[in-house]
Amino acid sequence: MAANLARLLECNIRCNNAAAVQSGWRLFSNQRQQQTEVEDDEEFRVLNLRTIKQQARRREIKKNAVQPPRTSRMPVDQDWTAVWSGPRSFHPASVPLPLRQGYTERGAAAPSKYANAELMKIPNFLHLTPPAIRQQCEAIKKFCTPWPKGLETEAKWKRPFPIEVITTDYCHSLPTIRHPEARRVTITLKLSDLKFDAHAKDKFLRLVGERYNQETGVLTFSADRCPMRKQNYDYAMYLLTACYHESFVTEPWEATKSEADMEVYQFERNQAKRSAEGILNWNATGEQKDAPSANYAKSVEALINEGENEYNIAKYKEEVLKMLKIAI
Amino acid sequence: MKMLRKQFVNLSRVSTHLPRNVLASRAASRGAEMSTNVAPAETATAPPPVINEFRTGVTNPGEQSELHVAKFYTIPIEEKKQIFSGGGLPKQYEKQIKTFTEACLMVRSPALELLHYIKNADLTKPAVRYVLYGDNGVGKTLTMAHVLHYGALNDFLLVHVPWAPNWMKRPKEAANSASQEGFIDLPFDAAAWLIHFKAQNSKLLQRLQLKTSKEYVWSKRESTPAGATLIELVEHGIARIKYASETTAALISELKQLATAGQCKIMVAIDGYNAFFHPITRIFSDNKQRVSPDRITLTQPFLDITSYDWTNGVCVLSVDKIAMTEGYMSSYMPRYLLGKEGFEHLDPFVPVHVGNYTDKEFISYINYYLDRHWISKTQPGFEEQLKFLSNMNPYTLMRLVRGL
Repeated sequence: MAANLARLLECNIRCNNAAAVQSGWRLFSNQRQQQTEVEDDEEFRVLNLRTIKQQARRREIKKNAVQPPRTSRMPVDQDWTAVWSGPRSFHPASVPLPLRQGYTERGAAAPSKYANAELMKIPNFLHLTPPAIRQQCEAIKKFCTPWPKGLETEAKWKRPFPIEVITTDYCHSLPTIRHPEARRVTITLKLSDLKFDAHAKDKFLRLVGERYNQETGVLTFSADRCPMRKQNYDYAMYLLTACYHESFVTEPWEATKSEADMEVYQFERNQAKRSAEGILNWNATGEQKDAPSANYAKSVEALINEGENEYNIAKYKEEVLKMLKIAI
Repeated sequence: MKMLRKQFVNLSRVSTHLPRNVLASRAASRGAEMSTNVAPAETATAPPPVINEFRTGVTNPGEQSELHVAKFYTIPIEEKKQIFSGGGLPKQYEKQIKTFTEACLMVRSPALELLHYIKNADLTKPAVRYVLYGDNGVGKTLTMAHVLHYGALNDFLLVHVPWAPNWMKRPKEAANSASQEGFIDLPFDAAAWLIHFKAQNSKLLQRLQLKTSKEYVWSKRESTPAGATLIELVEHGIARIKYASETTAALISELKQLATAGQCKIMVAIDGYNAFFHPITRIFSDNKQRVSPDRITLTQPFLDITSYDWTNGVCVLSVDKIAMTEGYMSSYMPRYLLGKEGFEHLDPFVPVHVGNYTDKEFISYINYYLDRHWISKTQPGFEEQLKFLSNMNPYTLMRLVRGL
């Protein structure tokens, strides 16, 4: 005991002499402590409440192990429609194809499919593979009726059904199943399916205006002014019917159409006819009058309507020589 | 000599394929020429006709046929003077005629075609209008000259306007018309035309003794009585330039009546006819606005005589791009150049296309130039070069060979 005490004292004295910072025990009197403060007042001991153990410890972030891509576990004969059942953005781990897409420096390979925004941006049709379509067709087959006989080809069914009605259905996930665009109705038909006379055809084309495509000969009426599809369909059909029947009506003011208003040159109502008749009936006494031949009329009309070219003018010359009876 | 000529023919035929034989053929042709000059059978007074492969002795266009295509015939000097002294040949061609000291025209198919129509035409029927058309410089005017020569030799009265656009583009003087309100007279041009008419037809007019049908009163003191000869009428117009335009109108209406009555036959030839239907002229009216051709007093009579309401006549008209002004020159086709109005006025007319030279015509022309020593530097293959450079266009060829 005595030996221990002596050792402790000795240690204490040594500590005081060295002015140890770490000792915080008061072993003897206040007097003694004051003495030490006087000796080294420059040191300021910081109160440290944390344990050494706490300071040293750092939290380790635990990472989950990355699963290998699903493609590596896919059997070769799997059902692809089950993997990719509907329209969806591209996902690299689900598509067992070594796709690459995107721009790189010259010479380098295009970026791979992993984390590739280029592949995700573009629409894909992985849900519309031929087996998927076949499968869906099989599924809806039970709702279909057999195709009517005698309408096998387009030429055959175009005859009884000349009008084509185009509408669009929209499927989407919203509280309402209505889509505003679904009301639009477009009907198209060939102009040649309608029967006209010359006046009616001219008037009809003026009435329909740009709804007629001159190059393809197709008439297009589209309606979207009513809220419902049925109403729009009825309106488009009404337009077609009204235009057709109106074109057969001749208004009194239509007789005032002058030569300048004509869209094509017509031999019958022009100076060419009067001149030709004048020459053919020169010095004619009888009642019977010669009329210029139809071929001549056609050649003049071609010359003016189709424009001048070597062929038309040669044809015109030939007809004139024939009409004037000039020996060739 | 016969042998020589035969040899020449062979040689020149070869020369078309092998240009290096050109010199030989030229030498041969000179030989032929010389030998004809020495021929004793010819009379001393008239120079012996030069006989070449490319020439023909048939100087009457009425007798020319397909055989003479691409051959040159010479218009006698007096006839040339009578027909073309007041114009009718292009200026450049006139110069060439002067240089070559002979008025040669090539017999070409458009002219032959026209002559064929005219010869076979039924003159009791209304006048047929023939319209010559073609690109620049293909020879429309010369085709017309050829037909005019035929007309002059076959007792046609010639109503010939050498270049109608001159009246619209550069008239000598423009004055307000006294007789028609708002119309413009071209007194000097009308008088010049009357002189041209008189020069062309004085012999025939004297022979036919055509009379006016009614009295023309020019002013209080001046008048031409009914029954005066047409020459008097024309001379009055020339002497009193102020009334030249009205005289022209009177003369042409008289001619139409006389022809319809069968007293004479008329050949109307108007070069640059489409100028009458051009929208504007370069003539300004009193209020400083350009007048249209139908406000010029000279236009009406020439439009009248080209309509179909008379007989015993033939109209040879040409439509020309150059007769138009900028913006109206994109095509040489008659309907385009005449416009709607002009086409309706002329319809039905017979369009006659004048084209570039054919190979045969081209070779013939080159031989003619060689014969006239107009081409003197002949490198091997120069014909081919000229053919490509000129595209066988007559006017371009004429310009190209000037430097050779």
